[in-house]
Amino acid sequence: MKKWLLTAALAAASFTAHAAYPERPVRLIVPWAAGGDTDNIFRPFAQVWQKHLGQTVVIANVGGASGTRGAKEAKDAPADGYTLYAVHDYIHSTYWAGVADVQYADFEPICLISSTPSVLTASPKTPWKTLKELLDDAKKRPGQITVGATLASTSHFFPALIEKATGAKFKYVSYEGLAPRMNAILGGHVDLTDSNLTQKGKVEAGQLKFLAIATEKRHPEMPSVPTLKELGVNVVYDVNRGIMVPKGTPAEVIGKLGSSCAAAAKEPEFAQAMKLQGTDVRYMDRNAYASWLKQNDDLNRNLAKDLGLLKR
Amino acid sequence: MKLSKDGWAGLAVAAASLFLFWLTLGLKDNPLVPIGPGYYPRIVLGVTAAFALALLLWDALHPKPSPPRERLNYVLVLEMFAVFGLYVGALPYVGFRISTFFYIAATNALLDRPERGKGWLRVLAVALITTIVVYYAFERYLTVLLPRGRWTNF
Amino acid sequence: MFELLGAGLADMMQVKYLVPLFVGTLVGVVGGALPGITITMTVIVVLPFTFGLEPLQGLACMIGVYVGGETGGLITSCLLGIPGKPSAVATTFDGFPMARKGEPGRALWIGIWASIFGGLLGAIVLVAATGPLAQLALQFGPWEYFALFVLALSMVAGLVESSLLKGLLSGALGCVVTILGNDPVMGQPRLTLGIGWLEGGIPFLPVLIGVFAFAQIMSDVERFSRTPEAVNTAVNLVVSHAKVLAEILARPFLLLWSTFIGLVIGVLPAIGGSAANMLAYDQAKKFSKRPEKFGTGIPEGIIASEASNNANVAGSLVTIMAFGIPGDAVTAVMLGALTIHGIQSGPLFISQNAPLAYGMFAAYILAHPLVLILLFLGVRWVLRIVTVPKSILFPVVLVLCVVGAYALGNAMATVYVLLASGVFGYLMVKFGFPLAPFILGVILGDQIEINLVRSLMTDSDLWLFVTRPISALLLAMAVGSIVLSVWQHRRMQKRAATEGAADF
Repeated sequence: MKKWLLTAALAAASFTAHAAYPERPVRLIVPWAAGGDTDNIFRPFAQVWQKHLGQTVVIANVGGASGTRGAKEAKDAPADGYTLYAVHDYIHSTYWAGVADVQYADFEPICLISSTPSVLTASPKTPWKTLKELLDDAKKRPGQITVGATLASTSHFFPALIEKATGAKFKYVSYEGLAPRMNAILGGHVDLTDSNLTQKGKVEAGQLKFLAIATEKRHPEMPSVPTLKELGVNVVYDVNRGIMVPKGTPAEVIGKLGSSCAAAAKEPEFAQAMKLQGTDVRYMDRNAYASWLKQNDDLNRNLAKDLGLLKR
Repeated sequence: MKLSKDGWAGLAVAAASLFLFWLTLGLKDNPLVPIGPGYYPRIVLGVTAAFALALLLWDALHPKPSPPRERLNYVLVLEMFAVFGLYVGALPYVGFRISTFFYIAATNALLDRPERGKGWLRVLAVALITTIVVYYAFERYLTVLLPRGRWTNF
Repeated sequence: MFELLGAGLADMMQVKYLVPLFVGTLVGVVGGALPGITITMTVIVVLPFTFGLEPLQGLACMIGVYVGGETGGLITSCLLGIPGKPSAVATTFDGFPMARKGEPGRALWIGIWASIFGGLLGAIVLVAATGPLAQLALQFGPWEYFALFVLALSMVAGLVESSLLKGLLSGALGCVVTILGNDPVMGQPRLTLGIGWLEGGIPFLPVLIGVFAFAQIMSDVERFSRTPEAVNTAVNLVVSHAKVLAEILARPFLLLWSTFIGLVIGVLPAIGGSAANMLAYDQAKKFSKRPEKFGTGIPEGIIASEASNNANVAGSLVTIMAFGIPGDAVTAVMLGALTIHGIQSGPLFISQNAPLAYGMFAAYILAHPLVLILLFLGVRWVLRIVTVPKSILFPVVLVLCVVGAYALGNAMATVYVLLASGVFGYLMVKFGFPLAPFILGVILGDQIEINLVRSLMTDSDLWLFVTRPISALLLAMAVGSIVLSVWQHRRMQKRAATEGAADF
């Protein structure tokens, strides 16, 4: 009986506390340095989203340590709907590779908003013009071609999948986030990296080389880039980004966040902004996102195991 | 052998860095990175310890006349630090608005002790005005979110 | 390039940028003029306000503070004989005697006009050199960056006036701060000492804010007296500007050389204006036909000091925009602001953020006429502000430091870092350890580590550090700078032995 009363009181308290959610600005933790691709996707989204949410969405970049610093902070934040977490597939890979103790199950999913296909990108100082030339060269000198990657994150998994599919062997160098990777690859300090269609301008200016894109079919934004599949490398890989909140967030808060997120993801303004980021809008509601996350987690576990990175 | 401030500082830094050095020995390597997380700290701590010991030696071998003592108000410095420490400690529990009000009032009163009622009025006015201006400027106008109290939710 | 600069200037003329630039300049002039409030402190106070602005608005505001502060510092230097900030120390040597001889207006305006000339000459170099230097920086691999950072640290440590050993130890301690918490490559916790909020590592900005703000405020509190300094605001500042301009332009070599020194000191990482004005003053004295007159109130001394400290701003901006390395504590705060706004500084900054970069150039250039207008209208007013009681100023400044630190990570952890570094910074001052190398160590420490790891991951051969030409050159310069400062300290000690001991 006592327990019952307590729960009722708590429920009442939480109801009054969140009666008018959101009554003040909410902050969205982006676990990567500002100016990177994740940041570039969530900033325009926050712009559109806050119109539907009725409160300002403040982006807080909490970067570092392969994105796990921000994840930890989001997990430890009070579950009141005023701290949100901008996540992508790294949450699975870093957990299974043993880099972080935070996993997707520590959060409640809200919605998935976008998917960005990965593109294998080469430095202008490398001699290869096609993927085949790269692979031939890689066979000749195993373990010598350098790849700039955020270790144990998606930019590490994607080249690792190519290694596995082709038998090549690369050497990984830690460059956290897309921006430092671009500095390194433009200067020729690494040979290869995972990037995406946002770097189109540099390819057209001859500063970078796109070797292949990891989509099923050629991408309408840049149809001249061949897919890995048509070149005989069976790898399809993209980076999916969504919003989550700490576990224990009240249901009505999740409801409000979910409905406003759905409305925002359908805005043409957002679609336009994503086009500039070489990204496709990919909306999933809370339930679809939850089951997708579970699938994706299993997939990543298997990937980590296949790649010899599994630490759990 | 008599040590001056330099020597004691060198001794303290050397001891601290050697202790941290000892802690790095327990760090595990990561297979993805050729050098472990303790590699660079060991270099840094080694260099620090070496400099600190050199400072200690230098001080021990080159005795300096102690400089004339200035009369400084260390009590006030301690009070300032204490009030600031209380402020930072209270911030997450009672929230920005309440703790800032009390902090400014306390510091203002410390630095310019109010004599009579009028002085206290000034202290309260300064604290109230600055707290309100700072809060509104940031939270409302610049959307920089300030901490809310865990106990007060304010 | 000039098209882009034109576009930048046109941008900057919009109200939405002009207002923050103007406000920044005003705050800078006042902050620079207030004795005991350095430009670093002023920019720290302004920092949280810029979080809510657009990136270029925020940067324009900070550049305004920087330029305004360098100029504002000379007001109190000339009229009160108290340097408003370290980079105006040399201005007092001749500015104050000249003012006391009954020419306060002449002293003030020679300083102001020399600042403007120095600053604008510096602007030419800023606009012309940043792009090519950024191109060069792109060629820098992890080896070169490692060597560059080591060079920066050894140079700053060597510049310290008291003891080279303490300078080096300070720099090393700064690096120690960066190894606490977790490793920057894999985020593995290390040396957390069981403190929860240390697990995220220690970001440099709250350390910088804490160390500088507390070191300075507490050093003032020690000597605190309740009676404010009496300031005579009724001085006669009327002067013929044509005559003052003629006085400056009649010494083109002095002006150019001082500007050059300011620029070079600015470009060198983390040395800053306090070294520039002393060095320029020293040089002016050496080249002068009447060195014995220096210190008695002659225009040369004021021109050298003020032209160099404004040019120094331009130099610091070059370094931060081309390499992403702060030229001094002020640009370090700007670096933090850039990161918060989502802008990656570094060699790609100019090419990827051209409008922003040229907007910054434009803000720098436009800040100079703004300073001039401000001082035309309100020197007297600035003098009055100087008398604001510190019992109000100090708590407000410290609250703004807390807001700034909190807003950095939106978490209490950074505020705890602020408090801890405040205590530590004050202790460092008390034990006579220089702050500049420490701060540079905190800023560069994990960059050094990351670049070391990267270079070893790219190639396990350690010899590459000395066989790659640029890296080898930079490392040789690092060793050279230490040797040079050992030699200089020897010489200075011999001199000091005859002149008596100096303080820290």
